[in-house]
Parts: sequence; C-alpha cells; structure tokens
Amino acid sequence: MDINVTITSVKRFFDFDGNEIGYSAVMDDITRFVPIAEGNREYQLIQEWVAQDGNTIVDTDVPTP
Amino acid sequence: MALIKVNTRGQSSNLGRRNLLINGAMQVSQRGTSSTGVGYQTVDRFAVNQSGFDNLVSTKTQDTNVPAGFSKSLKLATTTAETALAADEYGNMSYAIEAQDLQSLAYGTSSAKSFTLSFYVKSNLTGNFSVTAYKQTGSNKQQDRRYTINTTNTWERKTLTFVGDTAQAIVNDNTAGMYLYWHTAFGSNFGTATYNASAGWSAYANAGWGAGQDINTLYNSTSNYIQFTGIQLEVGDTATPFEHRSYAEELSLCSRYYHTSFSGETTIGGSHPANYSGKVFSWSDHYGSSPDRVAFNYQWPVQMRDIPTVTMYGNQWTSARMSKYNAGSAEYTIDYASGVSRNGLGGYYDVAGVNGDFVVAYVEALAEL
Repeated sequence: MDINVTITSVKRFFDFDGNEIGYSAVMDDITRFVPIAEGNREYQLIQEWVAQDGNTIVDTDVPTP
Repeated sequence: MALIKVNTRGQSSNLGRRNLLINGAMQVSQRGTSSTGVGYQTVDRFAVNQSGFDNLVSTKTQDTNVPAGFSKSLKLATTTAETALAADEYGNMSYAIEAQDLQSLAYGTSSAKSFTLSFYVKSNLTGNFSVTAYKQTGSNKQQDRRYTINTTNTWERKTLTFVGDTAQAIVNDNTAGMYLYWHTAFGSNFGTATYNASAGWSAYANAGWGAGQDINTLYNSTSNYIQFTGIQLEVGDTATPFEHRSYAEELSLCSRYYHTSFSGETTIGGSHPANYSGKVFSWSDHYGSSPDRVAFNYQWPVQMRDIPTVTMYGNQWTSARMSKYNAGSAEYTIDYASGVSRNGLGGYYDVAGVNGDFVVAYVEALAEL
C-alpha cells in the first residue's frame, strides 16, 4: 500500500575514492538527490524500482579532487 | 469555602501531550494549499494515495470550512470522476507514525494498551466508512474500525478504539511503526471480509482491508467530497477533547519530516518573494584547477528523522538547478548535492558557469516515512 511515485531514471554518484555516495533520481519529473540511507523513503523506492525488470541505475564517473 | 478536588498523582492518565499525531488540525501546509497530485501534497504529515485509477482527478485542499474551534481542514474533492471502479483500484488518506513515538502502547507485552482515534469528518455522502491501522514490524498486521457518517454536509466527530497487540512489539527506532488509512474508495478486491467491530490485530489480507466500509462512491461523481480535521490518537480507550497546539509547535514537529528554505515565503512554482526571501545564498570560485565550484552550507531548523532527500531549485523552479544572485532567470545545473546529514547540508559542488558570482537556490528536504 505504498504511495505512488513514478521514477524515470536514476544516476549513481561516487566520492573521490569511488565509494557510492548517493543518487540523482527523476521522480514525478523532479530531479531529487537521494542519500544512501536505508531509512530514507526515496532510497527505498529506488531499491524497489531497480528490482523491477528493465530498470537500471546509471553510474557516473568517479570525480577528481 | 470552595473545595477543589485534586486527582491523586498516578491515577489520571494522558495529561498533556495526549495526541500522538502531528498536525491533526491541518494547520501546517508547507507544500501548498491545493493539489491534484498524490502522496504528500498539501497539509503536512497526511498523504493522499490513489492506485490504479484511470480517469480520476481528485483535488486536495487545505480548506477553511471547519467545525467550531478549528481553522483548517483537509478536503478531498472529486474533480474528474472515475467512470468505473475496477477491482484493484483503491484510494485513501494516510498517516505514518514514527515507531519510537509508539512505545507507550507497550506492544509485544502483556500490558499492551488500546489506542483511541478521534476525528471530525464531513461529506455529502452518508453511510459506513472505515479506518485501517496497519503495521509492518515483523509480519504485516492490520485492524479495521468502522465509522458512520450520519448527516450530509455536516461536521461530525467520530471515535474509534483499536485493541492492543500483546504478541508483536513495535521496534524502537525512527522507522514507521504504524500507518493509519482512512479509506476513500476501493474496488471489489478489498474489504470483502465480514466486519467484526471487536476484532484485534490479524495478518494482512485484502479481504480485511477496509472491511467496515460500505460506501465506495466518493470518486463516482464530481459532486462528491470528504474532509477531515481534529485528528487525534491517544493511548487508552477514551477520546478526550482535541489537544490544540500552536502553529509554531506544529510547524517545528512537521519539520522533522519535511522542510523547505522557502516555507512561509512561497511554494514550489509560486511567485518569487522580494529580497530573495527563502533562498539559500552561497558563493562560487575555483578550487585549484577544478571547474566552477559552489560552497554550500545550510542547516535544517530541527534534526530530521533520517538523512533527507534534497532538491534544489533555480529561479525558474527547475529542479537540480541554482541561479546567480541578481542575474535574472538563468539557471545552472548541479549534478548532485553531497554532504547531506540529518542536521543540514554542507559541501562544494561543481556548477559550470557560475564562477565568481554569488549564487542562490531554493532548498527542499524530505524525510517522510
């Protein structure tokens, strides 16, 4: 019985050491910055979204300091 | 001499801070006062959910039609009707309660307590509606209670008591300990079980979801509406008068779950306030041989429930953008905002094109359950 949110795309971002730090997700046509936090509702929705066939998180480049 | 009877300490219950819900009087509406969207859209802490509908447009408004002693209500009005309610379609208004705020219910012990939900409701429809309490801790459980709207277009106060759960504790943390669902309408896949007014917690099943509800016509006609205010949940089996809190106190409590830098100044997509009110100021520069970078530092007014999702808007209300100070409507892309915590955000971000200028952005933080 979860709230309906339409996710269009998700990008994964990294820190200088290549560690995952969060996502940029287009949700209901709004680009939101979602942290890696299991208690975060948008993070949970992204995990449900990527578990569905055909949905993929796109990795961005590891930044340089 | 007049005598005053004083209750012996320990005999009275629920004195002060009786209401376990936030914004039950619908006073705070940080996102705006009217929306046809779903989820958290208008009044804080209350979501309106719609699943599977083909035609339905439902308008949610923070309304000023209220029972005596209140100033705001949440109204759900059917703007475009659903032509045929399919079996799997459902709608509701919901509230999620943080688990650590429910520990006084003593669930999972032999001392588990009942709780009583009271609220004011008004509709052009009469008949039986229901509220389902639902919890996901361990196995999913639900408990359904019926209320009856007796008179059209009239505010009525309803009181529903839910029994305690001696078998299953509610985890003591910042996750959702329980959800409340005020059903608006649902299809034939739901609520088919025979209603039992004294039933306790049972395993979730579609048949029991809204079992007490007979009226599922809210979305059938553009004449139909339902509205609520004065929602209170208190420990025990007795409803007491609604506990009014100040606007400032409710806003502070709501800010644990949702905050914008522009609360009280404008809403998303609204006209821009004078003097850049509601925008977060920053500055940009190079760092070594790096591209244009913006240093950002902003503190939430209260610690948020969890690390929030952050959205930044530029001068044209485009998300993932910021703008230069005093430089018109131009917007500049920010790819990601790192350095976010429950207390605020701070970091420097690559934003091409802003080097050397002051920059501004509207900032929104979400930590809803």
